Amino acid sequence: MPATTSLAGVPRPGGSRSARRRDVALAYALLSPALALLVLVLAYPLAWEVWVSLTDLSPLKDGPSFVGLENYRRFLEDPEFWRTVLITVGFATATCGAKLAIGVGFALVLARPFRGRALVFLAVFLPWAYPASVSVIGWYWTLSPPLPTAYSVFMGTLKYAVDSAFGTGAWAFLSVTLFNIWRGSSFIGIFLLAGLNAVPPELFECALLESKSAWQRFWHVTVPLLKPFLALAVFLSLTTAFADLANVWMLTAGRIIFPVIGTHAYWLAIKSGQFGPASALALILVPFLLAALFALFRTFDAPETERA
Amino acid sequence: MNPWPWWRKLGHASLLLLVTVYCLFPIYFMLVQSLKSAHEDVFGNPFIVLHPTFENFQELFEQRGEVHGFVGRTLRRSYPFLDWLENTIIVFAGAVAITLVASVMAAYALGRLQPPGFRWWRRVIFASYVIPHTLLFVPLYQVILTLHLEDNLLALLLIYPTLALPFCVWMLSAYFQRLPREIEESALVEGASRTRAFFTIILPMSRPVVVAAGIFALGAIASDFTLASVFLLDTHNQTIPAGLATMEVALDELLAVAGINLMSIPVVLICAVFARGYVRGLTAAMVEGA
Repeated sequence: MPATTSLAGVPRPGGSRSARRRDVALAYALLSPALALLVLVLAYPLAWEVWVSLTDLSPLKDGPSFVGLENYRRFLEDPEFWRTVLITVGFATATCGAKLAIGVGFALVLARPFRGRALVFLAVFLPWAYPASVSVIGWYWTLSPPLPTAYSVFMGTLKYAVDSAFGTGAWAFLSVTLFNIWRGSSFIGIFLLAGLNAVPPELFECALLESKSAWQRFWHVTVPLLKPFLALAVFLSLTTAFADLANVWMLTAGRIIFPVIGTHAYWLAIKSGQFGPASALALILVPFLLAALFALFRTFDAPETERA
Repeated sequence: MNPWPWWRKLGHASLLLLVTVYCLFPIYFMLVQSLKSAHEDVFGNPFIVLHPTFENFQELFEQRGEVHGFVGRTLRRSYPFLDWLENTIIVFAGAVAITLVASVMAAYALGRLQPPGFRWWRRVIFASYVIPHTLLFVPLYQVILTLHLEDNLLALLLIYPTLALPFCVWMLSAYFQRLPREIEESALVEGASRTRAFFTIILPMSRPVVVAAGIFALGAIASDFTLASVFLLDTHNQTIPAGLATMEVALDELLAVAGINLMSIPVVLICAVFARGYVRGLTAAMVEGA
């Protein structure tokens, strides 16, 4: 990085080295509001949570004492924990897979012009645009209706059928899963459509001549071109997949009894006051998510070499 | 392209129909419920409304939240829906504005001014998405108490931007970074200040990306329900999601559905107006530029 050029590549009065220094100072000043928000709302609470996960803090005892990695270690021996992990991973994989499949379908349907495309586009956009904070309330109460509505009997029958096949709470869990897929597939579809729009049409025409089948074209042309969009979409949907479950858990005061890591941590913290183990549990997936993110960064980070 | 044979046209049309019904049915269903009278809700067909009525919406607006159950004709409480609506508008508009200003500033710094290690700054900011929100509200409550913002809308104005900020910074800074330098160059050569060059050249150019960031922020903020119900306690201070969660759904099901619609319709309209811009902005952020 030659320090003799300022950002605009123009030598400016006062010497470019000091201009560059001024730019850097300005950059930090401009970054500070965003960083202040993140430190206040995320970094400090995260640090607190990490510290608590190493103690046995509980409102039922006086004074937390340091226990080291004991909270984490105890989870590894707990079969209930492994069941929770299994459900969590299963939920994430199933919703992510379904969202991706449906989302890719949406994007491909919308990629070509046809009559009424604008309307179908809007329809695909709406599940994501419809505010999830309230639609999850509506969705939950539609699928598990309160007593007096016309479809209660039908839904009740369905609920008991599912619950008796997979265990109590299965229907509530399934309904949140369906909601998550419904909303997430809309987000991914629109996101991938933006990716497809970026591909020059000539590339597809070329592929049309070169490849044998539509399937081949999809795997050898479309997917590689969409890779950065796919990676970003998968990551964003992974990190938000559990928000809906947490919402419904809060809404129904823990009526979702298929525990995923997040809701199980709530249970430990709020219902039994064990903040230490609860924090450990909440944090236990972070290293894995972080590793996945840094692997993904390669695919969607801007490819240019660093310059200044 | 050759015209399709009839069976392909039919297949395409039914695929489109399937997509549309899949996407719209839940929304349609909630809209229909909110237009029903209590009588029709119990005895009518769940999928259609024969005698649409706005009585649920009217009832929402007439209530003041002063009645606390066991009063009047039934056990029903009343809810200060107008207050909730006002709070929601303040919080959403404010939080989206804060998100946009903070992320445009940060993105300009990272994408154009490029301080040392700007890529790592950007990655670290984006990586804040891996922090689980599960128990975060416990320590967050300490922060809010320290700032004396408990049970105050300002608390949400502080918290909500962080839901969307990392992605907005990522998107905007990638866009700014790809813009050719020459764009600012001419203005700077003519002696314009950096600020002036930003407001007259860069910002107007990046409008689609800013719109996309704003719509993303609105979507992210409008999906929160936990934070609002944890930090807003007084019934007159709540936003619509927090308030709806306190409703007795078994008794006020129709009212709750009407509330859901009242909150969603404006958000959906805003999103629908900018839907095309959203896609354009996402495309521009990820690919276009130099």
